[in-house]
Amino acid sequence: MRCEELRGSFELYVLGLLDQPEKLEIDDHLGRSCPNCTAELQKARELNSMFFAQAPAAEPSPKLRRRVLASVGVEERRGFAWAPWAGLAAAAAFAMFLFVNLDQERGLRARERTRMNRMQQAIALLTEPETRQVAFGAGPQGRVLANPRRGVLFIANNLPPAGAGKTYELWIIPKGGAPRPAGLFQSEDGSAMHLVEGPIDLANTGAFAVSVEPEAGSQAPTTTPIIIAPLAD
Amino acid sequence: MWLSLLFAALAQDDRELAERLKRREQNAMADLYDRYGRVAYALILRVVKDTGIAEDLTQETFLRVWNRMAGFDPERGALGPWVLTVARNRAIDYVRSSQGKMRENAYELDASDNPVLFTTMEPELLNSERARRLKEAFRRLSENERLVIELAYYEGLSQSEMAKQIQQPLGTVKTWCRTALMKLRDELGEAVPV
Repeated sequence: MRCEELRGSFELYVLGLLDQPEKLEIDDHLGRSCPNCTAELQKARELNSMFFAQAPAAEPSPKLRRRVLASVGVEERRGFAWAPWAGLAAAAAFAMFLFVNLDQERGLRARERTRMNRMQQAIALLTEPETRQVAFGAGPQGRVLANPRRGVLFIANNLPPAGAGKTYELWIIPKGGAPRPAGLFQSEDGSAMHLVEGPIDLANTGAFAVSVEPEAGSQAPTTTPIIIAPLAD
Repeated sequence: MWLSLLFAALAQDDRELAERLKRREQNAMADLYDRYGRVAYALILRVVKDTGIAEDLTQETFLRVWNRMAGFDPERGALGPWVLTVARNRAIDYVRSSQGKMRENAYELDASDNPVLFTTMEPELLNSERARRLKEAFRRLSENERLVIELAYYEGLSQSEMAKQIQQPLGTVKTWCRTALMKLRDELGEAVPV
C-alpha cells in the first residue's frame, strides 16, 4: 500500500485505535523508516492535540489546583523512609493514621499530603487478596507487589542513586516476550517506591526487572538489569 | 470565547516554563496548572463524564507530566499538546479499565504520550490559527463523520468497536473516519503548505 492510500489513517494509528490491515501497513512503513509516514504521524499528533483542546469548556473546583500542587510539588524532593519489609503494612497503616489526623490541622504541608496519597495507594494494593508478592534481595532489597486490577507497586531499600543523567526504569517481562517499559523512578535516601497503575495480565507475566537507563528512559533495557524478580506460577 | 480567554495566558513562552519545570521549581507547577489545568480537566470530563473522577485523573495527569519532565526538551518541545495527550490517555485508560476491558494496546497508549514525541511541534499550536480552522472544519463535517470522530477521540473506540456500537458495517465506519480525517487534514493543509 502506498503512503497516499494510508491518508486518513494516521490519526487513529497515533490514538492506538486503527484496525488491521491499515495498522500493519503503517507499522511496515515505519519499520522501513518511511520519511513520508514519519512526517504524517507528526502531523497526526498535531491534529489530535488541537482536537483535544476543543472539548467543551468545564470548570474544575478550586480545590483541584491545591490537590495538584500538593501531590506534585514535592513528588521528586523526598522519598519514603520505609519501615522493614516485615512490618510494611502495619507501618503504612500507622502512618496513614498519623497523616489523617494531621490532615485535620490547618496548613498541612504538601509533603505530608503527597505521602498520604502514596500511602493510600500502597495500602490499597497491599491489602487486596489477589495481590501477589515477589521478594528480591542481594544488594538492593525489596518487593514487587502486583495486582491484576490495580497495577504494580515496586519498593526497594539499599538502592544507590542511579547517577547523574540516569534513572531507574521498571520493566514488565511477559512470558516469552520482550520487556515492556513500566515507568521511571529515582532512589532517594537509599529507598524507592514506584507505582504503575492500571490492569496487568499476571497470567502472562514472567518477571519484573529494573535497569539503569538514560534519564529520559528507554523503550528497551540498554543495561543489564540490577534487579530481576521472577513471578512464580 | 472560552478558548481565547483560556489561551490568553499562553503569550508567555512555554519554553521558559518547561525549563523551570525541569529545574523542579515548585511555583512552575502552579503556572503549568494555571495554563493547562482547565483545558486538561475539560477534556478528561468529556471522556469520563464524572466531575470527581475527572479531578482525580487531572491530578494524575499533572503528576505524570511532572515525573516525566526529564524526557521533555524545552528547546523544541510543545508543552500543551503533550499535557493534553497525557490527559486524554489517562481518561481513556480509566474508561477502558472501568468497563473491564483489558486493553490490548495499553503499552502503545502508554508510549504515545512519551515527551520525546512532542519535540517538533510549534509551541503555540493549541492557540494557533490552525486550531481555529480545525474547529470550523469539524463543524462542517457530516453528522456521521462527527459521530465517528467523537467516538474515537472521546470514547476511545476502534473502528470495529464503533461499527458494533452504532450498528453499521465496518467498511462504512472506516469510510466515515477516513473521509472526516482527510477533510480535517485538508483544512490544516491550507494553513501549512507542504
